[in-house]
Amino acid sequence: MSYAAKSLEKVQTNVKVSGFKGKDWLSGLGYWVGVFLTLAFILIPMLWIGLTSLKTYRQAFTLDIFFEPTLDNFKIIFDEPYSFGPKLVNSLIVGIVTILIAIPLAMMAAYAFSRFRFWGSNLLMVWVLTTQFIPPVVIIIPFFNLFRSVGLVDTLQGLIILDLAIVLPYATWMIKGYIDALPMEVEEAALVDGCNDLSILYRITFPLVMPGIIVAAVFGFMACWNEFLFALIIGSRNAQTLQVGFFGVTSGPRGLQWELMSATGMIVMVPILILSLLIRKHFVGGLTLGAVK
Amino acid sequence: MRGKYAKFVMLSPAILVLLATTTYPLIYALIISFRNWKLTKSPEPKEFVGLDNYTQAFDDSGFTNSLQVTFLFTVLSVSLSLGIGLAIALLVQKKSLVNTILKTLLIFPFAVSPTLKGFSWRFMLNADYGLYNKIAKTVFPPAKDIIWLNDTFWAMFGLAMSETWGWAPLIALMFVGALGSISPEITEAARLDGANNFSLFFYITLPLLRPVILIALLLKTIFSLKMFDQVVTMTGGGPGRSTQTFNFFIYQIGFRNLDMGYASALAIMLVIFLSILAYLYVKLLLGKGASA
Repeated sequence: MSYAAKSLEKVQTNVKVSGFKGKDWLSGLGYWVGVFLTLAFILIPMLWIGLTSLKTYRQAFTLDIFFEPTLDNFKIIFDEPYSFGPKLVNSLIVGIVTILIAIPLAMMAAYAFSRFRFWGSNLLMVWVLTTQFIPPVVIIIPFFNLFRSVGLVDTLQGLIILDLAIVLPYATWMIKGYIDALPMEVEEAALVDGCNDLSILYRITFPLVMPGIIVAAVFGFMACWNEFLFALIIGSRNAQTLQVGFFGVTSGPRGLQWELMSATGMIVMVPILILSLLIRKHFVGGLTLGAVK
Repeated sequence: MRGKYAKFVMLSPAILVLLATTTYPLIYALIISFRNWKLTKSPEPKEFVGLDNYTQAFDDSGFTNSLQVTFLFTVLSVSLSLGIGLAIALLVQKKSLVNTILKTLLIFPFAVSPTLKGFSWRFMLNADYGLYNKIAKTVFPPAKDIIWLNDTFWAMFGLAMSETWGWAPLIALMFVGALGSISPEITEAARLDGANNFSLFFYITLPLLRPVILIALLLKTIFSLKMFDQVVTMTGGGPGRSTQTFNFFIYQIGFRNLDMGYASALAIMLVIFLSILAYLYVKLLLGKGASA
């Protein structure tokens, strides 16, 4: 069958299944009501934060949608005493350094798990998978006491060590999935063509699974950026991240200032929304470790 | 990679880091859970006390309360997330431009940090000037006197909704993927046999979605049991202690009361609860990989 005929047939099946099949306008209306409700459900909290971040202190207590927008809040939170600059930098450093350590380790381990079978390899693999179910509160109790004695409380190094516990198991498992999907023949062909073992890895295998590596890195960064429990316990002063920085604007002299909270929220939220758009095709498969593609 | 030791060279850095960051703390916490260690009294762990830290929990009304809260929260947020997720999935399953845009927007709420979720829902549920407060009281006037976050039930419900806001869209996307893989021939055949929308949904769609529903259920339950962030930023565990989840309770014992022994024992209990669920989840995950 020619390509054209095939695609025509496909279109016809789609039309047959997805058309409203001459149903009354009621189901059409129902659909649009559903679309409206879904949009409202998803977007209202984000839009409301966006709007409030442009309001003044007084306006924040109103439900006005039309007002004169101001960018003052963003200036205020970066000024004294809120000083969001250093907190933003801390969040960036923790996220970036964590994935710079975790991703190469995960790549190597993922390759070994994917390509070699040895005594205990399955058990080891399942162990890696299960480590991500250890709740963070179990990890923080011993580390908090260890860090107290070695002076790592309230340091970025401490936070990075803790975040590795979250990112590494996940990234290993995820990248392994991508290497599994790559046929062994590709590597064998390169071997025949005279590549040595190491150059196969960095010329053939890793470039081919780069999308998976990027997805793992983005998810890892998001996990560090949004992480709260470790940051709350470890980052009390100098190592405050953005998530802990919220408390600066919520416990000021005027109480909880919603317009400042919203401006902080925008800084916390917008970069992550952009990142998640970049990997939107992998979002679900990534979060469920491939259990659902 | 034919070198005999190459694989171990590649594996060992990751394994060592994982041993240090996950297995070491787990074993350490297990040991501490059998010892008396109140940071207010001693910087170092004191004597072994056997199972005292565990038995202490059952006389502690804070512990039983936190279990009830976590149970209620899990039931509420899991059923809301799966229910709303399924509804959204059925809405957007057909291929069209509007649905593609909706599906893209669906990834957003989950990516929003839980801390911010908590603050923003607390803002919108404020009984004086909150947006959701206004909407709810306009749609349903008898609710006009409710102060959402001061009410035991509504505070819990709000907490569960803030979580559902992130999860329902994600679960919808999981379901959309599975719905797409249901062959059109099956539904077509059922229609020819005279199935209406309801029977189609209950006898065809739902059974075929069963594996995905199970995975979503387990994943959401695992995350619900660890609920912490929004409790801090939205309700602070209140009113009273009606939203003090188990994880929040452990945090309070460990880092407010500074009782490391008791907190470790509680944390080990959480690990045990989670292990059961994680075991089922991993089994599903690996089972699927083997059959593929």
